[in-house]
Amino acid sequence: MSESEPPREPPGRGADVVWSIIGTLIAGVLAWGFIGWLLDQWLGTRYLVAVGIIVGMAGAMYLIIKRHGSG
Amino acid sequence: MRAPTLPLAQREGFHAPGIEIFEWPDIFHLEVAGIDLSINRVVLQMFFIGLLVWGLFFFAFRRPKLVPSGLQNVMEAFVDFIRNQIVLEVIGRDGLRYMPYLTTLFVFVLFGNLGGIIPPILFPLNGRMALPAIMAICSLLLFISVGISSQGLAYFKNALFPPGIPWPVYILLTPIEFVSTFIVRPVTLAIRLLANMIAGHLILSVFFVATGYMLTSMNISTLFGLGALAFSVALIAFELFVAGLQAYVFTILSAVYIAGALEPEH
Repeated sequence: MSESEPPREPPGRGADVVWSIIGTLIAGVLAWGFIGWLLDQWLGTRYLVAVGIIVGMAGAMYLIIKRHGSG
Repeated sequence: MRAPTLPLAQREGFHAPGIEIFEWPDIFHLEVAGIDLSINRVVLQMFFIGLLVWGLFFFAFRRPKLVPSGLQNVMEAFVDFIRNQIVLEVIGRDGLRYMPYLTTLFVFVLFGNLGGIIPPILFPLNGRMALPAIMAICSLLLFISVGISSQGLAYFKNALFPPGIPWPVYILLTPIEFVSTFIVRPVTLAIRLLANMIAGHLILSVFFVATGYMLTSMNISTLFGLGALAFSVALIAFELFVAGLQAYVFTILSAVYIAGALEPEH
């Protein structure tokens, strides 16, 4: 393909980046939410699942910025 | 309808179809070792679509001609599309050996989805979890095998420990990477397809049942029914678009996952 050709964008292109971001966010919440829940069961507390979800979100955002950020 | 002249409220109530339209009774009951292998309409449809896709490819390329015509032309368009728009674009030349899988996946998902708007089938095959789930698991196993065969066990190291990050952060990130790569990927792949097909089928069903109800009510609603009937053409066209788009997204994401497994992230 020559470079002068305008880029053709079929519908759904860019879906991979979008879904990778969404997937990472969901995974962060799931992974650390689950770890928090396990700790809650173990320690008999009730707030670690919430802490885990927030930690997971933060980690997921860090990962997304690291991977897709332009900087 | 017993009393067409009564106003809407006094007629037998309008019953919107719900999620029960996705449940089909067994046509042929079969249970082997406690596992339900019964045949119902959806299973028959799956056999039919599978046979159809096989037949289309078989008869298109049985005696391939240099200058294609007829069916060969149509099926070559599919293969060309997958080759140029998905495989070469996403994976590159290394990906050509995964083209048979991706082409089959695309055509099967597409025809399964199209069943939702083609009479007399009128049911989207991927509106049941079984097929999207199995296809997502196939893609999962495929990209894991591709990763192991091209990078060895270092594939898991590369997948779970993204480079360029100070090591204490791995405690935070490795569980996220594990869940996102090996759990969320196949789950979202399956649910995205399933949910789109369920939503599309429900919208069409509710819309057409309501259109029929309004058309037969013989009062001012009949006029709205005519409008709805005209609009239904657009709705069908939209479902056609969704059927193609979801087949495309499923295939391109599978290709993206394979590409990610072929070489470590940089």
